Amino acid sequence: MKILVCVKRVPLTGGRIVLTGDEQAIETKHLGFTISPHEECGVEEAVRLVEQHGGESVVLTLGPADAAEQLRDALAMGIDRALHLETDGEEWDPEATAGAILEAIQADEAASGPFDLICFGNESADSGGYQVGLRCAHALGRPCATGIKGVSVDGGVVRAEQERGGGRDIYELPLPAVVTVLEGLNLPRYPSVPGRMRAGRKPLDVSIPTRPPSRLQRSRLVVPEGQSKQAEVLGRGAEAAPAVVELLRRIGVAR
Amino acid sequence: MNLVVLEHVDGAPTEVSMQALTLAQGLGGATHALLIGPGAREAAATVPVAVAHVAEHEALDAFAPDAWAAIVCEVSDRIGATAVVAPGTEHATDALARAAARLGEPLAANCVAVTPGNPLALTRVRWGGSLLEEALLHAGQALLTVAPHTVFAASPGSPGATEPFTPELSDADLVVTVRDRVAPAAAGVSLPDAKVVITGGRGVGSAEGFGPVEELASLLGGAVGCSRAVTMAGWRPHTDQVGQTGSKIAPELYIACGVSGATQHIAGCKGAKRILAVNTDPEAPIMSVADYAVIGDLHEVLPAISAELRRTAS
Amino acid sequence: MLTVLSALALLLVAGLAGGLFARRALLLTRIVRLGKPTPRLGELPRRVRNEAVDVLGQRKLLRRLIPGLAHAFVFWGFVVLFPTIVMALIGAVDRESTIPWLGHQGWFAFLVDLFVVLVLIGVATAFWIRKVQRPERFRGSHLGEADLILALITLIVTTLVLWHAARIAVGLNEWPAGWSPVANAIAQVFGEGTWAEARERILVWAHLLIVLGFLVYLPYSKHLHIATAAINVFFGRTRARGRLEPLDFTVEDEAAMRFGAGTVADLTWKQMIDTMSCTECGRCQDVCPAYATGKELSPKLLIMGLRDQLFAEGPKLVGDAGFQPSALVPNAVSDDVVWDCVTCGACVHECPVAIEHVDHIVDLRRQLVMVDSRFPSEAGQMLRDVERSANPWGKPQVERADWTEGLEVWVLQPDEPAPELLYWVGCAASFDERARATARATTKLLQAAGVDFAILGPRESCTGDPARRMGDEYTYQAYAQQNVATLNDAAVTKIVASCPHCFNTIANEYPDFGGRYEVVHHTELLAELVRDGRLQPAAGEEEITYHDSCYLARHNDVLAAPRELVSRIGKPLEMARSGKRTFCCGAGGSHMWMEERGSAINEERAREAAGTGATTLAVACPFCTMMLDDGMKQVGETMRVADVATLLAEALDARAPSGATSG
Repeated sequence: MKILVCVKRVPLTGGRIVLTGDEQAIETKHLGFTISPHEECGVEEAVRLVEQHGGESVVLTLGPADAAEQLRDALAMGIDRALHLETDGEEWDPEATAGAILEAIQADEAASGPFDLICFGNESADSGGYQVGLRCAHALGRPCATGIKGVSVDGGVVRAEQERGGGRDIYELPLPAVVTVLEGLNLPRYPSVPGRMRAGRKPLDVSIPTRPPSRLQRSRLVVPEGQSKQAEVLGRGAEAAPAVVELLRRIGVAR
Repeated sequence: MNLVVLEHVDGAPTEVSMQALTLAQGLGGATHALLIGPGAREAAATVPVAVAHVAEHEALDAFAPDAWAAIVCEVSDRIGATAVVAPGTEHATDALARAAARLGEPLAANCVAVTPGNPLALTRVRWGGSLLEEALLHAGQALLTVAPHTVFAASPGSPGATEPFTPELSDADLVVTVRDRVAPAAAGVSLPDAKVVITGGRGVGSAEGFGPVEELASLLGGAVGCSRAVTMAGWRPHTDQVGQTGSKIAPELYIACGVSGATQHIAGCKGAKRILAVNTDPEAPIMSVADYAVIGDLHEVLPAISAELRRTAS
Repeated sequence: MLTVLSALALLLVAGLAGGLFARRALLLTRIVRLGKPTPRLGELPRRVRNEAVDVLGQRKLLRRLIPGLAHAFVFWGFVVLFPTIVMALIGAVDRESTIPWLGHQGWFAFLVDLFVVLVLIGVATAFWIRKVQRPERFRGSHLGEADLILALITLIVTTLVLWHAARIAVGLNEWPAGWSPVANAIAQVFGEGTWAEARERILVWAHLLIVLGFLVYLPYSKHLHIATAAINVFFGRTRARGRLEPLDFTVEDEAAMRFGAGTVADLTWKQMIDTMSCTECGRCQDVCPAYATGKELSPKLLIMGLRDQLFAEGPKLVGDAGFQPSALVPNAVSDDVVWDCVTCGACVHECPVAIEHVDHIVDLRRQLVMVDSRFPSEAGQMLRDVERSANPWGKPQVERADWTEGLEVWVLQPDEPAPELLYWVGCAASFDERARATARATTKLLQAAGVDFAILGPRESCTGDPARRMGDEYTYQAYAQQNVATLNDAAVTKIVASCPHCFNTIANEYPDFGGRYEVVHHTELLAELVRDGRLQPAAGEEEITYHDSCYLARHNDVLAAPRELVSRIGKPLEMARSGKRTFCCGAGGSHMWMEERGSAINEERAREAAGTGATTLAVACPFCTMMLDDGMKQVGETMRVADVATLLAEALDARAPSGATSG
């Protein structure tokens, strides 16, 4: 199998979000970064599928030079190759992102054959556009299932499971196909140090895509209000129990 | 002309769909609705729009997102819609994103406010709700999804005409469709449906530590949730996870125990009507989004609440 | 004729025994030579001193007086009686000869008699301990083997004194018989007679055969320790007990890189000798907090398990270059055992033969974490948090100085001049509400005493200790290098830390990465300030018991300073397990972040503290603060748990309520 997984570098924001002075981005000094959670599960799944079926896995990101860190994390988990579409650090809108990724996919497929499966995160933790994977699938003319939490491949078909109403809906897509996945798909492995060292030595395939004008254009970011409620303290420790029960009865959730 | 895609259940449009409708009506001009699949006709009868288009087709018994996208494009084309709006649910977002790809238009997901104009000024949600983005949409047709529970659904007006039709669907539109369903494993209240959700975070300390959480949940007829730290630690399955990358829920009461309150978690529970935090740290971030708080160790507090409930049960 | 025959017989027997012994000794030596390198040659005077004190002086063994004396008698007896083996060898060949000069000394004969008696007393005591007292520490040890060895020792000294008696009986003694009262008395019983001459020959040969038999048996039994223990003590840690040996990740050839102990082939030579020195005495098992609370880990069984695997596979490794040894975990040691350890070092402190169990555990962890990715899943989140968020709580670093709100603390900026003193706050005090109190109290105290200091704020990353003790040496080294760069760029020279783990890492482990600073624990600095009169706390009536942190007391010898402070502000009460014999709070070895099986270590210690009757439990570590506070609640005690700094700050307020510090 030849599998592609697309990832995005996102900051680890913690308890509150602080903006840069120009209100165009989050202040990321002293913040750590990671592969967006849904996508990290995608990376793990790609590694597992290649372990199971043989073949090759590729990771791709559209992001700043620092995003090489996330590519190396993916390589350390066991991905074979990495493609870095390097930007100047500003975030691209979803249409432009999908366009650049599409070009890279087409170039790679022309060079070494089609991807049986392409894996995106359902949405990235920061921008939450919900569309990059679907746009790529549409442009490639391949079937796509979204919100996937279970993947298995057998005989040229990918069986994808989507959670709904406590149970799971099952889609069956003929390969080549695209899936957008959710965290919970698997538990990503902790990369081994030999894996990291090998990953550190692997060359990244870096290209610099041209950015088209943005049709969804950011004006500014705003931290929403209402984050500073004053919680009414019902009590301390076990002594608060009566006050809590009174509240539960008052709301009508306790019998 | 605005087209709103409405989801429906049990013969009525869903609450979040009505919220989307309200936002769409804010764009000005006439608004039509589109409802798809079994039960659509009944639900369409109550929708306060000029025309409610109802797509009926035997292949629509199971959800097929490409079919939905094709239908959206067909209707939008037919009525000359300048804006297509849908609720920001999994299925509707999926369908609208596919429609955006077909139409070659941008899609702004999870909007909370719009100002009519060209370009359209909108405010949308990032980081699951912890950050807002003001943006301009340069498009021939404005495609928007509306963030659930951020727009107040206006009180319903009087419904207009219902126009059922059979959409033209190709085989390609039906490749992606639900072929099978696996029933829920356990009985009991599901997380999104529960009126009360009690969530345990890192402070619970272990898988066994969830005992008091489960006990209280069972006493209140509620569900047990957990934070991402708990899932990553392997103490509970991902289906229990509440947060930006887990379930986003809106119960009557959300009790967060031993949860520090990272933005990713808050993104999953801020829809709750009321939040009660149980934490040893009075300065934890959760305290600034909670309505009520108990300062203490959940291992003491929860059993005490359970005991008090039993004691005072009539 | 007799002499030549005897000589030939001796040559045969001694040659055979010697040969068998040498063959086995050679094999063991070759196994040890396959051991991976580890630097253990520095500080020669210290090493010699350790030999004198711990081997000759039997210091650690004498901590338990009765068993210690019993062993000392046998050991010293072995040393003193050694020349008698040579005498027996000579005497077996020529019954009229002995060692020149020494064999004729009455005082030596007296010593022989004395030590024969002492050895017998020692052995009898040992039998009594094993058969009547039956202490718990022997659970899991090979008792049958021990009995055999004790029996052989008994036979050796008995045949020795009987032989001497037999010599006296036929007038062959080269020393004045009166000098050896015991042998003399037995000689009277023997008397002269037809069998007297034969008896003397029989006894010397019996003695020699048993000695030579023992020699052959020695390297196949745990009695091997008589050869290895002295070596092991010599190569034990001399300085910085809390320092772990770093791994080298710069090795070019990945195949040659050592990531920890995956198989017996990965063990260092010191670790191999460790396993060969174990006598299964169980002193380590007795003091292990994991074992005491019902977990699978016993340091003794750990070493025995590794030893058995080494002896099973070592010979194959020596013989066959292509041999693939099997994984230590789970074949020799189970996963649970590896993760149960809290790295408190109580085992290392007790071990009379300088086995360093903690090194074994950490090396096993390194392999499991860095190569196999096989560890408790909740710890994985902590490792990811340390790696990505620079602290084990996964909280954003920008919030690191939030605890200073309301206090005016200098947060050192990149281009500012070097501070006189840098307060290394640590992740716990930065992000946990209970530990925060310590940082605030320490700050107020330093300010009250007019000490000029700075903190790094968001530029202070985790020291890497939680990752390192978990076995993730790679992440640890990344942070060590980063922190050393930050500190060196800021030209920091003196550091005070309120967390013993930070203190240990920066003081003992950062020098390996180019970070050399004067590092003190906050109790040391505060004690100095009190001594100098710069802080004048009110004396108090509260009964306070002080819990020694493992990383302060055992690993770093900081015992007096916190006690000075406690005595100043209250009435000190000591727990039974205090000072270097302190009982862990349960957070070490990254256990702060792992689930615990079995009954809790922190509850055990909380019960012990509450048992003193004191109202307050003073601690000097944020982990101890959290674990013991939880422990008190879990066992239903209301004893207050507070850091020494917090208590000192309160005592300061009591003295000067209208003074500079506010509550």
